[in-house]
Amino acid sequence: MSAGNLKDVAAVCGVGHTAYGRKMNRSQIDLAGEAISNALDDAGLGRDDLDGLIVSFGTPIGADADTLAYALGLKLRAYNQTWAHGRFTASSIQWAAMMVSAGLTNVVACMASISFSGFRKPMMGGSGDAEGGREAGGGHGEDPVFGMTSPGAGAALVARKYFDRFGATSEQLAAVAVAFRKHAAMNPNAIMRTPISVEDHQNSRFVCEPLHLLDYCLINDGAACVLVTTQERARDMAKRPVCISGMQGLPAGREEFIWTYPGFGTSQQTAFDYVPGPQPVYEMADVSPKYLDALFTYDAFSILAWTALERFGFCGQGEAAAFTQDGRIELGGELPMNTNGGLMSEGHIMGWNHQVEIVRQLRGECGERQIPNAQLIQWANAYGDSLVYRAG
Amino acid sequence: MAEYTKPLPAISTLNQPYWDGLKQRQMVLPYCEACAKVWYPPAPFCPDCWSHDFRWQAVSGRGVVNSWVVFHQAYFSSFKDDIPYAVAEVELEEGPRLLTNLVEVANEDIAVGMSVEVVFDDVTDEVTLAKFRPRKG
Repeated sequence: MSAGNLKDVAAVCGVGHTAYGRKMNRSQIDLAGEAISNALDDAGLGRDDLDGLIVSFGTPIGADADTLAYALGLKLRAYNQTWAHGRFTASSIQWAAMMVSAGLTNVVACMASISFSGFRKPMMGGSGDAEGGREAGGGHGEDPVFGMTSPGAGAALVARKYFDRFGATSEQLAAVAVAFRKHAAMNPNAIMRTPISVEDHQNSRFVCEPLHLLDYCLINDGAACVLVTTQERARDMAKRPVCISGMQGLPAGREEFIWTYPGFGTSQQTAFDYVPGPQPVYEMADVSPKYLDALFTYDAFSILAWTALERFGFCGQGEAAAFTQDGRIELGGELPMNTNGGLMSEGHIMGWNHQVEIVRQLRGECGERQIPNAQLIQWANAYGDSLVYRAG
Repeated sequence: MAEYTKPLPAISTLNQPYWDGLKQRQMVLPYCEACAKVWYPPAPFCPDCWSHDFRWQAVSGRGVVNSWVVFHQAYFSSFKDDIPYAVAEVELEEGPRLLTNLVEVANEDIAVGMSVEVVFDDVTDEVTLAKFRPRKG
């Protein structure tokens, strides 16, 4: 291993989750305990083998890391928590990979546990949304003074700009929702399993126009957990390791706006024609994207599938509208995406449910929705971070 | 006059001159004396060249609609009676983009690229908001 190169050094040794539901009447700590316990069972480990914890989307909406360590009687050597924001999934896995490779911990539980139904006030938009209280285009383009609130509103700004700049339509965007629902129909743990059509999408009400209800992800309860250790240790555990081959961090600054790529020209971004440069995730994993068996992305809103595809160069700027048609992103297509059904149809577990699905695809455990002989899968997001996983 | 119940800005030492300017019917933004950048939202010094030598300078108040959305859901009860209401992202001639509400235009007549100009809305005795209307001519 050369200094700084963590290709395949860390691996996922276990995954676990709860059932997902709209209103489960269970605390985040309770859900988290079940997900962690299931992940340890999956890896063939016991509680005291767990010495690291990273909670993404932590307190106050998610399970709090301190409370969790107490409640479950964990003996942690290192832990961390990100604030209540969905964008930290890859970052959490990256930190865990660094922790185990640096010898700070042996096994890190990376996870989120959510109970949206447990809050009296709506947490996504409106007066209960502490993060969305940031003004002048904060996290997702909020400015409550003008009624600009909720993550979806910023995504709607990107969608309008996209339609206008590239001549795309809402009917084309429907293909993303239709594909992910088709996948969810094959997933017993998905919350929304009834197939939908483009017409259903068009007939669903506007939430923040131009986005329809069926352009939005679900708001639900549930927890999912991924155990990260070194590949060397993982080889002695119950399941075949899934190696973390490539990593690319989460960028920030005035040229970034969470729901799209640089140059797009929303928020304070400079507007220019975007051409993706070399992506560190492929260099580290030493792979070409053409060898990927599937792509998973944070689909809080359908438009994010388009901006993620363009950000990572799966198609050119403005071409994702056409690229996502005709089953290309469905199982059996050229580039299957979110085979679990995604945040839009399986459930919103902050992308942790996607990591669980990636691991199971690479172990060949996905039954009806299994991608034949899946070896290489990428997690890549509109906001620029990424992981490449490889079957061990 | 009915009590104003919509969210009000969090006025801080960082953005106070912006809100003071609006109250005096002037839009002012930070302007860097060293590199001529005009920026928003506020920063303690120039985000481009890190010069501390900046002043709050009057800007044109003119711009174009860069993107816009229409809320069909009332996240804030105080906006319930406005549904469906539009929020626009306006790109000022000087470069920065502001989120705002448009006045004197129906939602169906809003378009990306539309020319707009600032109007000042005194929503309370202390707070004036910068809204925008279509620019004539």
